[in-house]
Amino acid sequence: MRLEHKRSRLVFHVKNLKLEWAIEPRYWRNPLIAVAGLFLLPLLIYSRPDYMTLLTTANIYAAIAIPLSWQMAGTGRLNFGPQFFVGIGGFTAALLSIHWGWGPWQTLGIVILTAACFGILISPLTVLAQGLYFSLITLVLPLIFLEITFVFADVFKGEAGLSGVINLINLGKIRITFLAACYISLVLMIIYLFIVDKIMRSRIGLYAAAINDDEVVAETCGLKIGRWKMICFVITSMMIAVGGWFFAHYYGTFAGTTYLPLNFMIKILLIVLIGGRGEIYGSIVGAYFVAFLEQALTALGPVHHIIFPLILLAMLFVLPEGLYGIYRRHKYREYYPTMRVRKRSI
Amino acid sequence: MLLKIENLTKRFGGVLAVNDVTLSIAEDEIVGLIGPNGAGKTTVMNLISGYYKVDSGRIEFKGIDIQNARPSTVCRLGISRTFQIPRPFPDLTALANVGVGVLCGKERPDKSYGDSLLDASHFLEFVGLFSKRNVLAKDLSLFELRLLELARALATTPKLIMLDEVMAGLNPGEASRAIKLVRKVVEEYRVTVFWIEHVMKVVMEATERVIVLHYGKNIASGPPKEIVNNPEIIEIYLGEKIA
Ligand SMILES: Nc1ncnc2c1ncn2[C@@H]1O[C@H](COP(=O)(O)OP(=O)(O)O)[C@@H](O)[C@H]1O
Ligand SMILES: [Mg+2]
Repeated sequence: MRLEHKRSRLVFHVKNLKLEWAIEPRYWRNPLIAVAGLFLLPLLIYSRPDYMTLLTTANIYAAIAIPLSWQMAGTGRLNFGPQFFVGIGGFTAALLSIHWGWGPWQTLGIVILTAACFGILISPLTVLAQGLYFSLITLVLPLIFLEITFVFADVFKGEAGLSGVINLINLGKIRITFLAACYISLVLMIIYLFIVDKIMRSRIGLYAAAINDDEVVAETCGLKIGRWKMICFVITSMMIAVGGWFFAHYYGTFAGTTYLPLNFMIKILLIVLIGGRGEIYGSIVGAYFVAFLEQALTALGPVHHIIFPLILLAMLFVLPEGLYGIYRRHKYREYYPTMRVRKRSI
Repeated sequence: MLLKIENLTKRFGGVLAVNDVTLSIAEDEIVGLIGPNGAGKTTVMNLISGYYKVDSGRIEFKGIDIQNARPSTVCRLGISRTFQIPRPFPDLTALANVGVGVLCGKERPDKSYGDSLLDASHFLEFVGLFSKRNVLAKDLSLFELRLLELARALATTPKLIMLDEVMAGLNPGEASRAIKLVRKVVEEYRVTVFWIEHVMKVVMEATERVIVLHYGKNIASGPPKEIVNNPEIIEIYLGEKIA
């Protein structure tokens, strides 16, 4: 028996049998390996529920950022209010759970449906509002929603938020419950990753890229841009709302003041920008980076509220293409959207 | 008649960009549209392809009224165009640029994404850009961009193809290659060409019939030889070299 290493192959000689095993470097960049790593991570920190919560939060951040980065390309517009749909999802789940005693798996369907309704209502904006106007309107929407939670405090419980939401999962032992919730968030994120990855590699991904690059020209080529932008907006809104559903059932409470103000939006947008827009794997890198950085900085005390955004802004300046962009530079051919805020012009 | 335009008028504020233009294009014709800068040539094209609302008049393509139709509808009916200043999808590769044309120019639910890119590479090869298929459009030269736009326009399987000043900014060698290419397009794909051009010489060489636009008005139409000897047109182009 003999073992031989030839360039990119390992060759086993067993008597007169020859077995080859390719070890091309690109196999090591296989996303499956990274995913397997992500699945092992919660087991390693099994004894630390606080880290587990951190991991869970990071997963949900990624699950919000992944559809958002698709939406940015597919509508060709910067959405400054993704947290609006987080709010829709969270409040729908919380209200249903508190008043009718629904469990998480019963509320999920209604959450998606509600988000679809609001998505359809708002989606014409992707056709009507150009560039900066779209960004401004989406920026204001969640703030109006926040205002509503204060005005109708008897329903939304304003400042304090709704509490008593039925928990996502309860397996008796607290550590096992945390572990299970972490895996649910991970599975949600992986499903999103899988779906959006498949879509971006299909013709819909090409349409999204064309719309992001030049709407007018895309329409000249026969693309029905209005339809595709609206479809993209509605689907991604539904996906984002599930993030809110998760938060509501995970913490058992849901307050507008936590998710609807601008600082939550800034976090999500920075995840997309730092991770590297367009490349959805980057969203995961960005989400973990931001979540862990936020956690690490809390040790500094109240100053971290200032230092955290400063670090993120500095990173945007130093790495305009994001963390993933460093790696991405070697894969020149794949679509990498440039973000533009512009008016439609002919 | 493939394309029929009747009494087309378009106003931008005080500027009468297109003034009561009537023209028609028959199948398999190569028609030139010439006129000095600001004559309204591009505006006519934008009106046909549905970017501007028509103030008054009619545009008819294959017997269907298309004034004020969406640009995507116009494209799917069989009119495609290039832009005066090339407008590729800058962050997409040349192949993907043409792929958009293949996939969107017609409803093709039976065609897979891979097949469409195969089709796209055929069109790229036709215009001679196959070796650049993996280069991002923003890294192509002006001449290559013009070729890319032509390939993308062809990929939508048009009946009528409108070219907006394809010769502008090309050196003589590139220009003669471009003229040859347009001839090849007509031969192989049997498309009708509506060729907007500022340079008279090109129009003389390549077209069968020329329409002259001046201050938005259609002032003459006929074979290139006649047009060049028309004193009125010589006056319009005064100071510029004709042929
Ligand atoms: N979108 C627009 N808004 C206002 N004026 C325009 C617009 N497009 C064209 N014009 C005007 O219409 C006239 C014709 O322009 P154009 O069709 O571009 O001329 P050309 O024959 O050089 O292509 C010009 O005077 C131009 O200023
Ligand atoms: Mg012009």
